[in-house]
Amino acid sequence: MKAPVILLLATAALVAQSGLNNATLGAPPTDSWPTYNGDYSGRRYSPLTKINQSNVNSLSLAWVYRAAGQPGGGFGGRISATPVQVGGILYFTMPDNAWAVDARTGREVWHYSWTSHGGDHIGNRGVGVYGNWLYFETPDCNLVSLNLKDGKERWHKPICDLDQYYFGSMAPLVVKNHIITGVSGDDLDRPGYIESHDPETGELQWRWYTVPQKKGDPGAESWPSIEAAQHGGGMTWLTPTYDPELNMIYVPTGNPQPVIAGKARPGANLYTASIVALNPDTGKMQWAFQCSPHDTHDWDATQTPVVFDGAINGQPRKLVAQASRNGYFFVLDRATGKNISSSEFIKLNWSKGVDKNGSPIPNPAKEPQLDGALVTPNQGGAANWPPPTYNPDTGLFYVSASRAFSVWYIYDPSDKPEGWGGNDRGGWGESMIQAIDYKTGKIKWTHKWEDGGRSGLLSTAGKLLFAGDGSGNLVALDPANGNPLWHANLGGSVSNGPITYELDGTQYLVVAAGDTLYGFAMWR
Amino acid sequence: MRHGICVAALLLAPFAGVAQQPDRGREAFQKVCGACHSVETATAEHRTRAQWQESITSMIGRGAKGTDEEFSLILDYLTLNYGPVAGRGAAPPRPTAAGGRGRGAAFSPGPADKQVIDTAAADRGRRVYAAECITCHGTHARGGEKGADLVRSEVVLHDRYGSTIGPFLKAGHPTQTTPAAKLTEQQIVDLSNTLHQEVYNTLRAALQIQNVLTGDPKAGEAYFNGAGKCATCHSPTGDLAHIAARMDPAAIQQRFLFPGGQGGRGGRGGRGGGAAAKPVTVTVTPASGAPITGALLHLDDFNVALRDGAGEYRSFTRTPGLQVVKHDPAEAHHELLDQYTDKNIHDIVAYLETLK
Repeated sequence: MKAPVILLLATAALVAQSGLNNATLGAPPTDSWPTYNGDYSGRRYSPLTKINQSNVNSLSLAWVYRAAGQPGGGFGGRISATPVQVGGILYFTMPDNAWAVDARTGREVWHYSWTSHGGDHIGNRGVGVYGNWLYFETPDCNLVSLNLKDGKERWHKPICDLDQYYFGSMAPLVVKNHIITGVSGDDLDRPGYIESHDPETGELQWRWYTVPQKKGDPGAESWPSIEAAQHGGGMTWLTPTYDPELNMIYVPTGNPQPVIAGKARPGANLYTASIVALNPDTGKMQWAFQCSPHDTHDWDATQTPVVFDGAINGQPRKLVAQASRNGYFFVLDRATGKNISSSEFIKLNWSKGVDKNGSPIPNPAKEPQLDGALVTPNQGGAANWPPPTYNPDTGLFYVSASRAFSVWYIYDPSDKPEGWGGNDRGGWGESMIQAIDYKTGKIKWTHKWEDGGRSGLLSTAGKLLFAGDGSGNLVALDPANGNPLWHANLGGSVSNGPITYELDGTQYLVVAAGDTLYGFAMWR
Repeated sequence: MRHGICVAALLLAPFAGVAQQPDRGREAFQKVCGACHSVETATAEHRTRAQWQESITSMIGRGAKGTDEEFSLILDYLTLNYGPVAGRGAAPPRPTAAGGRGRGAAFSPGPADKQVIDTAAADRGRRVYAAECITCHGTHARGGEKGADLVRSEVVLHDRYGSTIGPFLKAGHPTQTTPAAKLTEQQIVDLSNTLHQEVYNTLRAALQIQNVLTGDPKAGEAYFNGAGKCATCHSPTGDLAHIAARMDPAAIQQRFLFPGGQGGRGGRGGRGGGAAAKPVTVTVTPASGAPITGALLHLDDFNVALRDGAGEYRSFTRTPGLQVVKHDPAEAHHELLDQYTDKNIHDIVAYLETLK
């Protein structure tokens, strides 16, 4: 254990080295990608321009790293983690595994493997880095801290109870001396929460439940009983964003439980399917906005709440915006949580408009029915976890979107359905990138993919927007109009959010498809 | 309705009395499903053939890409290797060992060492439950005014074969009418199986569609011949004759709403049952040269590939001079998704159900 003073120095050194300035937004680093989203804002916009519209056709494949699980074989599964790049090393995860890979060459530096006791292994979003330490969550509910240098485990701490079917998948968020962790799981009816841990010891600093736990808690009036609220879900699947000036983290919360059959939880079910601002030092709620009141379609709101400053009706505003799974694009004042606009970024058939707070009003007829209700979006949603991007040069918010229909059924007609008392089935849909003008909520352009596709996005000052289609192509589009400019087929669909950084004067682009990481470089 | 799902399963794949082709099945699985799932994750739970079919259908709806043959191989492979375990119904996971290299059956949701239901014990436990617990905790252990919800109880969720339920009952709980110490060890294990079964019955795969036959057949017939324009392409005495004898109502509903599976995909015709979804075709016209039409195999922003009438594979780079026109025979069905009311849908099902 280092003495606190040395640790502070080490932290300061990392912050300086990574270029991540906690005090200001809008100055993302260029020689690193030090957080899940590259910076705290969630914009996934890079000011780098060495790769740009005029030369993107010269982009070269520099290296390939296949995340091997056993000798002679690939690991299987997919990298849905966004790599964190610090000090020229990429750190990324798949469930139970973390890797360090040379950001210039793709050579493995170390690989750490965790012995699992179970849990849903659907995906892992990556790591958080603080000082010389790396943090990631395991499917069996542990927060693991490794030494950045060699991948040796320092400690692990439980963050949830596997017996309650929680699991870990979120990339921890590092804010000051807080390692912030979320929980996943929507099988059983359990409450969601988000926690902060001490970076040195892993000890709990605070926990905030997304749903009321006792009478009188905020939001309790939106549940029929405390028993329902205590089991009301609202998992914290996704890494929050952060505004250092306001000292608020923006936490997107999951769907209520029971998931589809909501008969026994009448009410709005706060604070599920919401964007919630918390004080990262105390875990105290500052404000909340509900994206899907009384959701019955598994439409969590765990899409990135993107932080940026903009102008609304000519007035400068501090904003947070989300393209939500239910098909709505929300723009909020991030200091107060007051809704500025709610617009459909995909055509919907389940809403009766929005209420005075800007929250949608679900049409009860489009809740799941015994004989089926045809609803769009489908369960996968109009958007899902793959990260969107906001580009300040165009003023457009880009999201991988889907217009899909399915039929929603109640399977359990009893008065107290629990867990999954219904589901959706079947479907037809189409995939696209939507470019949304945040000032109006209008779609500036749409680029449809012929063959599906839902990847994370990256935009750059080089007038490029990077995305993956459903045919295994990594595509660079013109952010002004969506025209494809360049592509490379990776043999598998892009499975994470692309990142970029510059090292030794060369700009790199790194993206994952399946169990493989691809490094592209502009050598010219 | 469970039977109906089996019928639906038959529509998509030839019935598997077929010789098993595990290598090809595994290959197909890895190719089609591996983009998003590891084998171990996707197969952590054992399911019946019908349940696997439902999973596959659902994945097609979410964008899984494969040929008919591949989906058929995958269904066989999953049913053979990850079929139901004797004496068990839907959902509960198979026995697992924790730890190891960490991959394998452990990785369904929940702990790797989760309780495996002994259904005979659960049936015995149900008698204990009826005698000792049901008055306060309810028919399905979901609680009531007098008793806690046991499906949501941490004592139950932490329990393995009576390990926490036993001590809890022995200590006595507030409303116990019969001292539980009188329960034998075996009765406690039996009760534990019953309660875990009630927990598993709330998981995703535990239940099925109940009844979609709620519409008005007369109104359905009118829609079929009128606003729906179904009669433009379909006939109750032609392609849809005896449709209800071949498909159950839930399958009929899904089939006319989503005849081609995932939009924009070709080549997934020939499912049997009702009228087969016709393959998507494409006509490619080079800047100089005659148009070429064939079954669409691949289309993205940069390339198009088809199989022409002579069975040749043809691939083209999409240059500005190349004209590409896709023909999806199910296009009218896709457009109807924006027009149907739910009443229309239920009426159509009721009408088609009359075509025995």
